[in-house]
Amino acid sequence: MAVATDPRPDLRPAQVRATAVDSRYRRGPGRWLVLAAAVLVGLAVLAPFGIMLLNAFKSPQDYAANGPLSLPSSLYLDGVVAFWERTDFPVKLWNSVFISALVAVGGALLSLLNAYAIGIGRVKGRLWIVALFLLANMLPQEALIYPLFTMAQAVGLSNSQWSVIIIFTVIQSAFGTYLLSSVLGTFPPALLEAAALDGASRWRILWQVVFPIVRPTLSVLMIFFFIWTWNEFFIPLVMLTSNDTQTIPIALASLQGDRMMDAPTINAGSLVSLVPAVIFFLIFQRTLTRGVTAGAVK
Amino acid sequence: MKHKRTLTAVAAAMAGSLALAGCTGQSAGGGDTDDSTLTIWHYENEDSAMGQAWAKAIEIFEEENPDVTVDVEKQTFEQIQKNAKIVLTGDDVPDVMEFNKGNATAGQLAAQGLLTPLTDAATERGWDEKLSGSLATTATYDEQGLMGSGEWYGVPNYGEFVGVYFNKDMFAEQGLEVPTTLDELDDVLAAFKEEGITPLAEAGAEYPLGQLWYELVLAYGDRALVDDYQLFANDVDFHNDAMTQATEKLDEWIDKGYIASDSAALTAEDMGVSFIDGTYPLMVSGSWWFGRLAAETEADWGQFNFPGNTLHTGSSGNLWVVPANADSPSLAEEFIDITLRPEVQNVLATEGGLPVAGDPSVIKDERTRELTENFQAILDQDGLAYYPDWPVAGYYDVIVSELQSLVNRSKTPAEVLDGLQNSYDEGKADLLDG
Amino acid sequence: MADTALTDRRARADQRPRTPRGTRRRRAPWVGYLPYLLPGAAAFAVVIGYPLLTNVYFSLFKWRGGMAPLRWNGLGNYADLMGDEKFWTSFGNSLAMIVAMVLVPTLLGLVLAAVLFDYLGRRFGERVSSVLRATYYLPQILPVAVAGVLWNWILNSQTGALNVILRGIGVETPPNWLGDPATALPSVMLVLIWVQMGYPVVIFMAALQRVDPELYEAAELDGAGWWDRFRAITVPQIRPETFVVTLTCTVAALKVFGPIYVLTRGGPESSTLVPSYYSYLSFFDKSQVGYGSAIATVLTLVIVVVALIILGLQNRAERREREGV
Repeated sequence: MAVATDPRPDLRPAQVRATAVDSRYRRGPGRWLVLAAAVLVGLAVLAPFGIMLLNAFKSPQDYAANGPLSLPSSLYLDGVVAFWERTDFPVKLWNSVFISALVAVGGALLSLLNAYAIGIGRVKGRLWIVALFLLANMLPQEALIYPLFTMAQAVGLSNSQWSVIIIFTVIQSAFGTYLLSSVLGTFPPALLEAAALDGASRWRILWQVVFPIVRPTLSVLMIFFFIWTWNEFFIPLVMLTSNDTQTIPIALASLQGDRMMDAPTINAGSLVSLVPAVIFFLIFQRTLTRGVTAGAVK
Repeated sequence: MKHKRTLTAVAAAMAGSLALAGCTGQSAGGGDTDDSTLTIWHYENEDSAMGQAWAKAIEIFEEENPDVTVDVEKQTFEQIQKNAKIVLTGDDVPDVMEFNKGNATAGQLAAQGLLTPLTDAATERGWDEKLSGSLATTATYDEQGLMGSGEWYGVPNYGEFVGVYFNKDMFAEQGLEVPTTLDELDDVLAAFKEEGITPLAEAGAEYPLGQLWYELVLAYGDRALVDDYQLFANDVDFHNDAMTQATEKLDEWIDKGYIASDSAALTAEDMGVSFIDGTYPLMVSGSWWFGRLAAETEADWGQFNFPGNTLHTGSSGNLWVVPANADSPSLAEEFIDITLRPEVQNVLATEGGLPVAGDPSVIKDERTRELTENFQAILDQDGLAYYPDWPVAGYYDVIVSELQSLVNRSKTPAEVLDGLQNSYDEGKADLLDG
Repeated sequence: MADTALTDRRARADQRPRTPRGTRRRRAPWVGYLPYLLPGAAAFAVVIGYPLLTNVYFSLFKWRGGMAPLRWNGLGNYADLMGDEKFWTSFGNSLAMIVAMVLVPTLLGLVLAAVLFDYLGRRFGERVSSVLRATYYLPQILPVAVAGVLWNWILNSQTGALNVILRGIGVETPPNWLGDPATALPSVMLVLIWVQMGYPVVIFMAALQRVDPELYEAAELDGAGWWDRFRAITVPQIRPETFVVTLTCTVAALKVFGPIYVLTRGGPESSTLVPSYYSYLSFFDKSQVGYGSAIATVLTLVIVVVALIILGLQNRAERREREGV
């Protein structure tokens, strides 16, 4: 089945001029005002994190005597270290990363498959299908937990991370299906026709025509899914009952007891757990701006 | 590695269910399907009195049972509280578990058949003698999950109670003495207020305000009221003398500014911190604060029992329970027995953990001894009256909400009592219904 | 050229599904896409379908959970719900949640995304807009429990940063932000806006990537200013994402639980009670699983109705666009 020339339409990304700094725009004071305003908004958003930093390295005595708004009198790391060791943090960290990463990839993949059928295939009754999938996101988690727990028990997945992974892949992919199918619903038909004319199968169209164009959206999905799953508390709380399978939010919850809580250590622990999620976000952020455009129609 | 874990889980689940299928009835001793591991779940901090005492108990257990591995899973309070009902229906359950005491918690589990009865073990091993009176009330539950009668389902190791913490330095500045009656307490509060100091640290968003209210109810009430309120001996009319006086007293204190008017949204943490840093000279709260106050307070401080009361808010500590699906119940019972031994109880004593069967004379630290002796005084009078949110499921939120209205001056004492009455009656009907 | 055309045609003939020419059956094209839906459908049925049905089933009983017996109650739970004042209050508060989690963040997010991508990105480079975007998104990464602690440190009536500042500038009795029923709900709304706004920014910025820059160039050449370009090009082009943001934020607003739990526990005096929290109280605190399931079912129904409305609108807009083109 040798093909002499590449029958696919030219999909090389057009020169993205939108994000390169154009010399035309360098001048003008107005832009500085706008920048200042945006930065101000950013600072307002960051303010609570500033307070978090103030308290993350404070000793409990210092915190009790001077309150949450004072600068720490000395850098206190014992709380974090004790927390790290007591909760066996590296294990929790690995569990969280493992679960969140698998859900991110699995969810994005599942969403793509669903959205392909709905958005591009225009399957009959797709409005209802999307609504049905969205149901996964609409249900409050307390409503799901009893049956899910008994099912997991029945198939021998109790206290297993796979139960959590499967559950969240489905829940997150509901959102992903919706977002992707909405985007694919406005996919330029010309591209699809061109590919179909050249005899590409649906499978190939998916991976060679559609996939490259929706990559930014898929990246968004992966980022969201990772972060949403990272912070999930309730379902892992019920499903994972032993220390070696539990995730970071559960470890953090151990700092909050029946009647007492350890505020500085909670802050320090949260700071530590924020770092992987932020790193993930920053890494994947770059894939968002890789400049693949729909302008390739021409 | 993950696949292996899945396979092991599947294998364990299958083995577990096969084994359970083999032994049907519940026997209090023997009938272990797995006598090589003891799985313990608890949620106490390692450096707390309980954590240290239990570490000692585990040490002793391992010495006496060299062929048994002890597997301790540190859980979080929320996990066990919210999920016990769900998790204990499965097969992956611990052999012995720490759980909260009372109708709404351990009582519920007992009523649903999720716990192994421990009555036989209690009589055989003499637990019922070590734990007496109000301490033992929280250990037994009947078929409806009401405490005070029925089978033994849990065993406490320690106790807890609510008293008054005070800042000795601030008292000295005002030339005030420790009050011994409610009137004297009134005077102390007034004295501070005159100097422009709001005397009582409080928290309207969590348990403290409710416990203060309850202390006042106990000041005006008697054991019969407690039995009616907590054990449903008779119906309770919330507009009775004791409760009306208590609510009006609290209202008076709020009116006079003894409690900060914006306490409605303050949490227990806020309250504790503001006592520690000297903003308030008095804090009415429980023995669980002791360790933290000892570590963090710079001023000189002490503790006294709520003045004039013979009844006090407090109870036994959390219970050791044995889930119905546990696979080593006899090992569990042995462990529980060890926790009641003098060696372990004395660790609790020295660390300020208020043991049920300890010896106060071994305590070297003065403040700890004072706390323990105060607790002992209450025990001698059989004065533990439990907690205000115990009688009915979900009552905690009701109390918080009603008292917030009181602090915010949006409800009168009579209206607050109405609100409390309604939820109490509803919940009680629910509980007794099935 | 002729050779390649020949090879092409032969290749195409090889690849097209073989249907005998005379008996060409008309199979709707979409049917071929059905297999792509299979994994999703199967997983959905197991993880969502079955529990949903079980939940509705539970709502017909009075049940305390665990191994307690289920007692048939028919539609009794629902009847009780209709007369339950707190239930209606909670739905009333949901409207406030929608303002705080849908209206404000979507509008704010749209403006910020456009400013970041379109305006600042061009004048200061990609790096600046990426950094700002990460900043706005940071609250979304924070676990809700921690956000609660942080905001309590700000809004606490006695020791909170806000009131400390207010007292510093001379305000004698600053408001009791979380303890006064009048200010509690607005305070919670403020926190929700802070949490939620990063999400639309990220989605919209990714959406803007899809817009053909040539459209902007052409408009600019025609003399259109930034606002005109925004209105005429940006907004219509990212319509799918706008619908998605609106729908998902609305669902999230109707379902919101975490921030309420950590900030106010539904108080003071039920001024911040929301349906999801009320359901939680029934499930776990009061151990009324049947009643809690009923609340959850009603909440789900409301969400489904709202979602269908928005989806319907989205579908209509999409169809109009296709036909218009």
